[in-house]
Amino acid sequence: MKQCAWKMVLFLSAVTIAGLVAAVPGHSQDWASIKEASSNIQSVKAEFLQKRHLQILKDPLLSEGRFFYLASGSLRWEYLSPLRSVMLQKGDNIGLYHFSEGAWKQDMTQAVEARRMVLAEMSQWFQGRFEESKIFSHVYSPGPPGRILLAPKQGINRFILGIEIVLSERPGVIDRVEIVEPGGSATWIEFRNVEINSNLPSEIFDKP
Amino acid sequence: MNFRWNLKTCLFGVLMLCAGCLPIPEADLLPGAPGDLQGCFAIFPAGPWECIHKIEAVISEGVSSSLLGVTKGDPAGRNLHTVLLTPEGFILFEAEQRKDTISVLKAVAPFDSPAFARGLMEDVNLLFLPPEGGPSKWGRRADGAILCQWESPDGSRREISLSTVRKISLRDSHGNLVKEALLRPPFVEGLASQMELRAYKPAPYRLMMTLLPGGS
Repeated sequence: MKQCAWKMVLFLSAVTIAGLVAAVPGHSQDWASIKEASSNIQSVKAEFLQKRHLQILKDPLLSEGRFFYLASGSLRWEYLSPLRSVMLQKGDNIGLYHFSEGAWKQDMTQAVEARRMVLAEMSQWFQGRFEESKIFSHVYSPGPPGRILLAPKQGINRFILGIEIVLSERPGVIDRVEIVEPGGSATWIEFRNVEINSNLPSEIFDKP
Repeated sequence: MNFRWNLKTCLFGVLMLCAGCLPIPEADLLPGAPGDLQGCFAIFPAGPWECIHKIEAVISEGVSSSLLGVTKGDPAGRNLHTVLLTPEGFILFEAEQRKDTISVLKAVAPFDSPAFARGLMEDVNLLFLPPEGGPSKWGRRADGAILCQWESPDGSRREISLSTVRKISLRDSHGNLVKEALLRPPFVEGLASQMELRAYKPAPYRLMMTLLPGGS
């Protein structure tokens, strides 16, 4: 379970960072400004394109989706293609669903507990408390483009070699997150149509 | 009267139980045309290939999971490489097969048991690699369907039947179904665009697989 939890960092770190970095007021800001700005984030809404590079495949596996985040502790991370699936978090409750034969079905995946563990760790990041992370050490490079480099600490480096977040020129928006794994695999997540502090209906965090 | 009725019921029950233990009789096959045997092999990709599938795994009604499967194969060397991922892209299981040797490269709980690796690779072999050697028998059934059958030394057998649907079956030495896969058109470079695998023994489950663009 612990191994699985660390692997979840691959995905959840990208989600969390996306939320955090969306609050960055501009790429020329220093690290203290980023931390301060993170306290102003109330909600994030964005679409994403995920490219999963696997050694076994010549071309990356492409997935598209969208996510919604509320600073009060709600998250909806949804894939629209090639699989329709969604992870919903509201407080301590996490639900996983997939769409099949015309209906949403609860997913039997065993990783719910692992996701909860990692999300608890990541909640520190939402609040800009990077120094308290037990998983990553961080370096901020003001750029342009601005970048945040996350280096895994002992233990997790078996699964992640590093994470790079590239900031957009548009204040408060990131361009992409790249997660590099040992063995030549990597995940790129490109964000678009990012909206910060827009009103998000609470139902989207309740039901798939 | 009551005694006779009970006796009849008991005899009927015993007969039913015995019937359950009897091997399923094999239907006689009519001689097939030369192209029929080739047809049994043609349902598998001929050269090296790779493919991506959307997989819905149903363990029991109401309990299911959605996954991505990436598989690469080379029928000439009987090599397979398969990766099972969550929709987010986490690798849950990765294994390679070189002829009869299976190496598990990555496995995350609960996909880390030897039984899971054996079962999954058996499924991948069943779906993607043609049986080795020539069939023990082949021909046409009375309904016109082409049937090719390979028998293993342990008495189990693999069958391919071609009619309006293409079907691959694995039966135990008693003739009982262990696994059965339905392959649905259209076929893209030898790969069915829809497959449904039903496993009956030792544990029942169902895999519904949809071919995604991106392989070759």
